Order: sequence, then C-alpha cells, then structure tokens
Amino acid sequence: MTLRGESRRPGGKTGEAGSVVRPRVPARRPAYLGRMERWCVRAFRSLLLAYPPEFRAAYGRELCLVFADRCRERTTWPGLVAVWLQALGGLALAAPQEHYHMIVQDLRYACRMLRKSPVTAAVTVAVLALGIGATTVAFSLANGLLLRPLPYPHPESLVAVDESAPQRNDPSKGVAFPNYEDFRARNHTLAGIALYDSDRATLAGSADAVRIPSADVSAGLFPVLGVRPLLGRTFLPEEDTPRGPAAVLLGERVWRERFAADSSLVGRSIRVNGAAKTVVGVMPAGFHFPDQAEVWLPLRMDAKLSPRTDHNYLGIGRLRPGVEVAQADQELKATMRQIARENPLTYEGQTVNVLPFRLQITSSYRTAVLTLLGAVLCVLLIACANIANLLLVQAADRSREIAVRGALGASRGRVARQLVIESLLLGGVGAAAGLALAAAGTPLLLALIPIELPRWMHFGVDLRVLLFTAGISMATSLLVSLAPAHLCSRLSLTETLKEGGRGGMTGRRSERIRHALVVGEVALSVSLLVAGGLMARSFLALHQAPAGFDARHVLTLRVWAPRVKYDNPEKRRDLVRRERAEVAGLPGVVSVAAAVSGIPLADAWGRSLTVEGSPLLSLREAPMINHVVATPGYFKTLGVPLVAGRDFTEADGTAALVTIVDQDLARRYWPNASPLGKHVRFGPPEDDEPWHTVVGVAGAVRNQTLQLPGRATVYLAHGEISFQSVSLILRTAGDPLHSAAAVRNRIARVDRDLAVSEVRSLEQVVEGAIWQPRFFAALFVAFAALALLLAAVGLYGVMSYAVSRRRRELGLRAALGASPGVLRGLVLGQALRLSLAGLAVGGVFAVALTRALASQLYEVQPTDPGTYGAMAALLLAVAIAASSLPASQAVRSDPMDALREE
Amino acid sequence: MVDVDDPQPEDFLPLHRDTFQILVALADRDRHGYSILRDVEARTEGRVRLSPSTLYASIRRLLESGLIAELAERPDPEHDDERRRYYRLTPLGRGVAMAEARRLERLLADARASGLLPDASR
Repeated sequence: MTLRGESRRPGGKTGEAGSVVRPRVPARRPAYLGRMERWCVRAFRSLLLAYPPEFRAAYGRELCLVFADRCRERTTWPGLVAVWLQALGGLALAAPQEHYHMIVQDLRYACRMLRKSPVTAAVTVAVLALGIGATTVAFSLANGLLLRPLPYPHPESLVAVDESAPQRNDPSKGVAFPNYEDFRARNHTLAGIALYDSDRATLAGSADAVRIPSADVSAGLFPVLGVRPLLGRTFLPEEDTPRGPAAVLLGERVWRERFAADSSLVGRSIRVNGAAKTVVGVMPAGFHFPDQAEVWLPLRMDAKLSPRTDHNYLGIGRLRPGVEVAQADQELKATMRQIARENPLTYEGQTVNVLPFRLQITSSYRTAVLTLLGAVLCVLLIACANIANLLLVQAADRSREIAVRGALGASRGRVARQLVIESLLLGGVGAAAGLALAAAGTPLLLALIPIELPRWMHFGVDLRVLLFTAGISMATSLLVSLAPAHLCSRLSLTETLKEGGRGGMTGRRSERIRHALVVGEVALSVSLLVAGGLMARSFLALHQAPAGFDARHVLTLRVWAPRVKYDNPEKRRDLVRRERAEVAGLPGVVSVAAAVSGIPLADAWGRSLTVEGSPLLSLREAPMINHVVATPGYFKTLGVPLVAGRDFTEADGTAALVTIVDQDLARRYWPNASPLGKHVRFGPPEDDEPWHTVVGVAGAVRNQTLQLPGRATVYLAHGEISFQSVSLILRTAGDPLHSAAAVRNRIARVDRDLAVSEVRSLEQVVEGAIWQPRFFAALFVAFAALALLLAAVGLYGVMSYAVSRRRRELGLRAALGASPGVLRGLVLGQALRLSLAGLAVGGVFAVALTRALASQLYEVQPTDPGTYGAMAALLLAVAIAASSLPASQAVRSDPMDALREE
Repeated sequence: MVDVDDPQPEDFLPLHRDTFQILVALADRDRHGYSILRDVEARTEGRVRLSPSTLYASIRRLLESGLIAELAERPDPEHDDERRRYYRLTPLGRGVAMAEARRLERLLADARASGLLPDASR
C-alpha cells in the first residue's frame, strides 16, 4: 500500500522527533573524516549493485542516506571502519535474500501465467520432455561407453597392446606369446604387460556340466589391472608355467552360486574342464575381465613351443607414471622391428600398436554413438525452435499484459527476466519428465541389443548424466526465451496499449523470427530424415547381402569334450560320429554336420597357404586363408552350394589328404583352369606340411562380416584334424530353437561329461553380427520420425497463427469474391515457401551430416539421390498435411465477421 | 465486518525481533529510516543495532505484507536539503505489534508465576 502523495504534512509529534533523530555530529570533527565519509558513501553506493535492480531502484537512495547518517555519527576513523563492517555484513545477508525473494515472486507469477494457458504449457513440457529425454538417452549411451571410468584403479594408464598386419588384410589383433615375452623383457615404458583370451570353462564333472565365460590369462594380468582378490590371492608366476601347479581363480558370483560362498574353498581342488585345479582365490563381486569372464586360468604357455605366427592373445599393459601412450607405442614398435630382424622367417610384416585401453574396447561403437548424439542434439534444437515459436505466439498474446506491467514501473529487464524464468520453469518440468522418459527408455533400448554386453558397460543415470540433463535443459530454456525476451525488450508501451494489445509482438520482426525458426526446424528434420533414410536403406541392403549361406532353420551349438577322457584323435573322431548319429535321429532334423571354426560370422581360424607350382612366398607375403574343418554334410546343412567336385566322405582325411576350396580361392589361383586335382598345403611356407588334393569347390561365404566378401577359405576333413570342441550344425524342418532341448538331451545320452554351450540359431548368430547397424538404423529412424513430427507441429502452429492474424484480410478477400481454392492456396503457398526454404538449407546440412555417416553405410552412397528425393517428398507431404487444417480454417473465415470487425 | 480472507494480526506471530522493534519505533510517530534505526538503538540501549541493509529488507517485507505504509517524501526536519521517505504503522501493523506485545506480556507473566522472575508487583 503506497500513500505517496498524501497531503498530510508531518506535524505535531513528528516535529519532536528531531532531537532523537539528529545524527550526533560532534563539535570538532577532523576534516579528513569528512573526506573519508564521502568516499565510504560512494563505495557503499557501488556495493548496492549486489541487490536486484528493483530493490535498488526502490530503496537505494534511502539506504545511502541512512548509511551516510551512520557515518556522520562517528568521530574517529576506527568508528567509521566499524560502521563499514556492519553495513557490509548486513549487505552480504540481505542482498541474496532479496534476489531469492524476487525469484520466488517471479516463479509464483510464472506458475500463474502457465495455469492461464495450460495447453501451451502442456505442449511445451511434452515437446521438451521428448527432446531432453532423447538427448539424455543418447548421452547415457555415450557416457557409459566413452566417459564413465572403467572399473579399475587409474583406468587412464591402461593401454591395449595389439599386433596388426595391415597389408595382409588381417584384422585380428592378437599378440603372439613369444613377442609378448620380448615386449615384457625389453620395454621401459610399461609398469606391466599381460595377455588374456576369452574362453568358456566347464566347472565340475557332474550331471550339469556348465560352460561359464572364462579367460586364460597371464599371471601379470591382475597386478596390471590393479584388482585385488576378495579371498586368497591371484596367480603366482610359477602357476603360469607349462608344468606349474594347476590353479584357478573364481569370480564372486560363481563362488556364491556354485560353492555356497564357502570360504574354505580357497586351497581346495575343484574340477575345471575335466581336470583337478586348486582354487587360489576369489575375485571381488562385479569384477569381470574381459567382458563377462568370471573364471580365470593361467596361460601356462611355453615360449619355445608356441610359434611367433600364432597371434592368439589380446595384450593389456599399464603405463609407468609420467609415461605417455605415444612413448610406449614408439618403444614397442622399435622392439617389434628388433624382433623382425632377429626372426626373419617367422616375421609376418606386422606392427604393434599401443593405444588407450578404452579406445580399443569401444572403437567399434565410437563413431555410431557420437553420430547419434549429434542427431539427437538436432532433435533437441528442433524442439527448441518449436517451443520458441509457441512462446513467441504466446508473448504476442501477452503484449498487453507486458505493456501494462511496463507502465506500472517494471523495467524491461524485469519483464524479460520474467519470460526467462517462465521458460526455465517449463525447462525444469520438461527436464524432470525427460529424465523419467530416459530412465524408462534406456532399458527398452538396451533390450534391442541381442548380444550380452561386456559387464563394464553401465548406461544408468549417474551424476554426469544428471548434470548433463540439467545443463542441457537450462541451455534449452534460455535459448527458447531469447526471441520472446528480445522482442519484449523492444516493445513500445504506448504503441502496444494503443493497438489494443497486439502491437510490437505481432509485427514484421516477430514474423521474420517465427519464419526463420520454422525454416530451421524443417532444415534440421530434413537432414535427420535423410540420415535415417540412408541408415535404413543400408540396413535393408545388409539384410539382403549375398551371405553365401542360408541362415534359416539352422541350429548351432558347441560341444566340448573333456581332454582327460578324449585324449586321442581316434576317440574324438568317434565321439563326433556318435554325436552326429544321435542328433540325426531326432524328428524334424533334416541334416547334421560338425565343424571347427565353421560357423560363419562367429568363428575364424587363419593360416597361410602355399599353392603347388606357384613361387614360394615368405611368411609376410603368403596370403592369410580362412580354415574350416568340416564333416560330410557341412555344405548341405549350411546351404552353401558345391559348384564343382564333391563333398567330404567319412574316409577323407584318414586315407587321403583332401581339401575343398571356395570360389574366391579357385578364381585367384586357377583363373583359367579347374582347381580339381590341384595341390595345396598350409602353414608357414618353409614348414614341410603334406600336400592336399583339391576335390571340390564351394560357393564363397561371407564369414567375417556381412558387409564385405569373406576371406578366401579352404575346408579340411574332420577325419584329418580333430579338436576338443566342435560345433554341431543342424538343419531343421521347423523353428531350430524348438529342437534345442532335445538336442541337449541326445548329447547327454552320448556322454554326460560333454559340455554344451552357445546354443543359437544361425539367424541369431547373424543377428549378433549385424545388431549394430540395425540398432543405430532403428535409432536414427526413430529420431528422424520424432523430428518430422516436431517440424509438423511447428509448421502447424505457425500457419494457424498466421491464419488467425490474417482473418480480417482473408475475410475481406472472401467478401470481394475470392474462391475457397484461392484462399486455401494463399495459406498452403506460404507453408510451401517456408518448407522449400527449409529443404534447401536442410539439403546442405544433410550432405555434411551424412558424410560423417559414410563409414556406417553399406552399399548406399551418402549422397544417394533416391533417399534425398524420397525424404524431400515425405517432408513436403507432411508440410501440406500440417498446414491443410489452418488452410480450411482460412476458407471458413466469414466475410461478415471480418467486415463487422472493420 | 471481518472478511475471513483478511489477514488477522495473530497470523503474523511470533514476530522477528527486528520487525517488532521497527513496529514499536513507528508506534508513536511516523519516521524515516534513520530515525527508526536511532530509536531502536536508543530504546534497546544499543543492544539492537540494525544495519541499513537489514533495515530496508525488513521495511520491504513490512510494506508488502501491509503492516506499514509509505508516506510522501518530505524534508527531514534536521536536514532541510534532504528529502526522505517516511513510514507509518497501518491499523493492521498496529494490531500485529499489540498482539506481539501481549504475547510477550503473557510469556513474562508465565515466567513470574513460575518464580523464574521476581514478581514486579511485590
């Protein structure tokens, strides 16, 4: 309540106040105090800047006057200092309170305003929630993969050590054991280096022989990772020697679930892979390395017996403190050159790379995740443009209210701040809803991934995600309030009030901003649509890629025979024969075969090849050829055509050494002749391996990825080489997975000690190989659809607002005889002009965006004109649909209404 | 007639120490800011010293809740050249100050009745 301007003069009592109120100015006051006092007041005045401008405007002068009075009371400079300190303390307390008070007031007002237009508020929150939710999901993925520290101490100093032979087109990363020994002995940059290899281990020889993800590791692995055991100890160096004591380490879950968390287990012997091993320790809960492994066995390798050409292991090392990755890389590369000089015969032309460990284990996801994050930020930008438009329209409707507030003394800054606070409130609610969407959506998204993810990957909401979401929603809120706040601050009070509340905000300037926003929205959605379209086409092409085999109705499983029981080739051959016979007797099984490294896209075994009559090549020049060991019936079961010659027979491999080659190999070595009857041999060229006769030619199979033709392949008869574990491959009449249980039973009937694992249909195997392109294609399509929807909503909003503003003009046109078609054309024409402008800009965006995607695309060019055309057409169709509703409103405008308003 | 929506003096109790002191300072006459400060200081013999910032934060709150009202700016009788804003207790403000004073009086009476303080009448 303000009684300012009241006419009553202070009289009577007020007059008496004088003696009380007069500052006790002393008779003799040194002159310097006066100077100090003036300086103090000036300083105090500038300190008032800490207050909100409104408070300063209302009380600033009074505050200074009172402060000056206080100063005047003092006769000494310490007294003046005391006044100063008191004022400073009061200010430090009061200024933040005033700011808080102002914000609470603004928030209250904002809530009232939002309640007044609940539809706009709801749409804004929904659009924000979608945008922020999608962004949060993508960021959670990026966070889990690329940002969240690996669960080992000082993960930044862990490095991967890979060997690679780029010129031999050999993508394997394995390190040969003797090379590892040399790296370990000769380097000065690594505090430790270790080898590991994923496997599966059979625990206990009881009825339920289970294969558990395991790893063969060198004894140094655990010190390198810096992980201590929960119980017992990790491996001793002597346990990692060929004749050392047999030891095993268990994961906490295995120990708990299979051994009832018995702490006396350490030191006792259990059966692992059919042999007795002493449990030396239990690793802590949650420790899995690599990927899902939770049983660890020492490598027990003999450097003398393991060739430098067997790149069987993955390497990991830890940098010494202060050493950079590049230094270690250079040092190991130098060591590799030394090794090559010392062992010219076994040198395959490979080099060694040291790179951050995280980079190695995330390299296949990196590009896709970052591109996805980019795409999702586009969606968020579209959402922002949408909301900015909504707020602009709303601000236009509120011009009058804003002008009135201005007339009542609210500064322009204050009004602009009010708008910013309103959109921050919307942003906060939207962020909360978006976070909930993300928390609910991430598990759904992860369910789309058909493979078991490594255990170190966590995609939950953590502090980093929360901060990101908070930051992004804050930035979003500020962004969307920029345009309305800017316009408000330029609002002319008198004009607006005169015009009946629809002034400045509805002018050309505001229209230009709205149109620019829509053009931006359309442009961004076009580029996302094109990206989504390309990803989808690429995925479809991949799905129809000429794989060379028929994945339908095929079941695959791995059967592992304990080494103790099946210790010679004869026993193993016989076992596989019995397994095949037993399974073939099942109803619904069309054919059965066994193979080693014979499941396309899942297994690979590379060796060198020498062709009789062609020049002897050194190891580094000899081609790397894929090897598959197969029983008769393998080609028929997989649906691989035999284009010449014959299939294996049961006698092959024991009586005569034969091989079947694939078409790629045949074309490469005998381009103008039949390969049948020709001779080849395998392994390092100097080794005197026996010659094999080519008896058949099979169709080429994409055995490594579906994207590229596979490595040339030779097939060897199972009669010749046998392994402890084979894959059984069955072609069935119906759903192959329905036969899985029966197949397991039959295998158990052969021998209860056989461990069965990796029971999958071949379609699941294929799925596991192409889930990434599918996953990211699905995400891109989803985001593109979201973007299209948002752009449609934006276009609809702008067009219907434009129609409502032009009602008078449209009515007049109707009154003057314009046909409904002409009116409709006016509205649609404007929508089309905006969309075409958006398309033009979006085309340029799309070229840039899809260039980044090029590496992810299969058999589709990033500039595929078909996709561009189709997406442009789709967008125009949606644009016309979105503006046809406002267009029919325009047609319905009644000329009489318009004239009456005139 | 009492409107149920109108604030009642009891709604504001208990008052913050500074607030009560400001209301008391305005009870006998209209005052400007510095006059309030000096009055509070004199009455409390220097025990309550308000800083200018605290004073005006309280004044802003009291104005907003309608316990005091602002009068026209007018010259300070002691500084003829300076115009100051004067504040006056509203009827509601007076009611609130009285209610607070009675509350304190009751507390005092309770303390005396229990022997915590000597009885003033004796």
